[in-house]
Amino acid sequence: MTIVSAFLVPGSPLPYLRPDNPPWSKLASGYRAAARALAASRPDVILLYSTQWGAVMDQLWQTRPTLKGTHIDENWYEYGDLEFDLRIDTELARACVSGSKNIGISSKGVDYSEFPIDTGTCVANGFLNAQGRLPLVLGSNNYYHSYDETQRLGEMAVSCAHKLSRRVAVVAVGGLSGSIFRKEIDIRNDGLTSLEDDHWNRKILSLLEHGDHTGLTKAIPNFASEAKADMGFKHFAWLDGAMGGGFHSARIHAYGATYGAGAAVVEFKI
Amino acid sequence: MPKGEIIAGFLAPHPPHLVYGENPPQNEPRSQGGWEQLRWAYEKVRVSIEALKPDVLMVHSPHWITQVGHHFLGVERLSGKSVDPIFPNLFRYSYDMNVDVELANACCKHARSAGLVSKMMCNPKFRVDYGTITTLHLARPAWDIPVVGLSANNSPYYLTTEEGLGEMETLGSATRKAVEESGRRVVLLASASMSHLHFHEEPDIPEDMSQERPFNMEAYQWDMRMIEMMRQGEMKKVHDILPEFIRETFAELKAGSFTWMHAAMGYPEIPGDLLGYGNVIGTGNCVMEWNLVKHGRADHALADSSSFTANSSGFSSPSSGTAYQGDGPTIGYPTN
Repeated sequence: MTIVSAFLVPGSPLPYLRPDNPPWSKLASGYRAAARALAASRPDVILLYSTQWGAVMDQLWQTRPTLKGTHIDENWYEYGDLEFDLRIDTELARACVSGSKNIGISSKGVDYSEFPIDTGTCVANGFLNAQGRLPLVLGSNNYYHSYDETQRLGEMAVSCAHKLSRRVAVVAVGGLSGSIFRKEIDIRNDGLTSLEDDHWNRKILSLLEHGDHTGLTKAIPNFASEAKADMGFKHFAWLDGAMGGGFHSARIHAYGATYGAGAAVVEFKI
Repeated sequence: MPKGEIIAGFLAPHPPHLVYGENPPQNEPRSQGGWEQLRWAYEKVRVSIEALKPDVLMVHSPHWITQVGHHFLGVERLSGKSVDPIFPNLFRYSYDMNVDVELANACCKHARSAGLVSKMMCNPKFRVDYGTITTLHLARPAWDIPVVGLSANNSPYYLTTEEGLGEMETLGSATRKAVEESGRRVVLLASASMSHLHFHEEPDIPEDMSQERPFNMEAYQWDMRMIEMMRQGEMKKVHDILPEFIRETFAELKAGSFTWMHAAMGYPEIPGDLLGYGNVIGTGNCVMEWNLVKHGRADHALADSSSFTANSSGFSSPSSGTAYQGDGPTIGYPTN
């Protein structure tokens, strides 16, 4: 089997940098549970899509063999630095560049020293691949790509992995409801900005939990508009495409808020 | 101490293509030129800034996006390499800038007093965004004038455009008060394109100017309509129609820099000097100057050099301040 595990995880740095803060500690715990599940699935590589790596011109894939450095989040710089030390499966990444073009999506590899690695990638890799044991394939979020195009990219990436006989863990990094508190808050009391957002998040998580594909297809467009879902919940499109619509249920390891926005750690049963 | 003042404001867009086309030593990639009309426009900006001799360049960039409040660079010296995440093939620039932390602190305090969430960025490892760097390089490649950098809170995206621009007006007024108290002579840079619809694929040779044109006729006509009003000094009309312009052309002015700059200058109803216009991957870019000295809205005389030493209002040399941490909850730095 090519795909051995799949996860939806938040990209906010808050649970990573301040796991001691009660509202964020359960997200950090959920992330650690996901890390154990990912390790147990024994993948060769992690296929990772982060909503925070934005692109506008092409579908970008990271093709630099190693990337090491310190990233400072542009919002939450006071909570600390994000160190990263990444290894890239360049063969698979290059296959994804070609594969994107083959499905009609213009694409480029990115191979530059000091290229800015986004916060979501740093956080997900830091939690799920802390020792850097696994190589990664990193795909960008082209803001202009539709839900359908993103689905096809996920499908294509797994197909490329299959051709190269890789066992892959698929990770989508992004949030749920997107509204944040616009004023400073006491972080110990962080929670969802509204009851409506909370209801939407719980509804989507319940549909994921039960593997209700029809319900998800119907609900996601409204979730995207009414709950201002992070990037229209396109990161789930990447996962769904990668899994070939094949998950039958999901386990919610954690659900909470990151400065008012919805966040969850979800493991899919495939 | 003489009263500080804003002496000019520039609409100063930040396509990294212009730095790429110029081939400065700080930028790694090499080009065969390109986008000359915009780069020549920036040559005029450089001449004007040289003549104005400002103490500080203040820039508002839409590419430092902050979710909670308006943030200010608050570290005296920031250096590093900026690689544009969108155009890494064009922009890999080594920068080294001095920040007027004292003036930034004052702007932050005044913004807070005016009810805006505001914050100082005090992490010395922070990587400055490419919008700030591109505009500053194009305006003053010597990097010998201290800067104040402001983030884009993106309130116009989160709120309605009108509400968001209203917040930028408040930020502009707060900036003006801080500048006046500082004794500094300040040039403002609104880092933004006009129409912002763009092509989604890059030519094989990025500087192949045969591929460069407006994204569509409507966007071009909107840009010309706005520029003509600015040239005529019909600035009230410009600000009235701005939300419609933003809606119709996806204008980057939505991020607020243009409104911030004009509010800080007191909404002068004076003509802007068009220095140049050009397209970059289809976006419309206008370089325009509102010179308040030339129009008798600012003192022509240079500030006395004594204004840069410690004085009764607490202002000292432009780069000697300590960072203001804000009045909100203290969370400390770093925590891990």
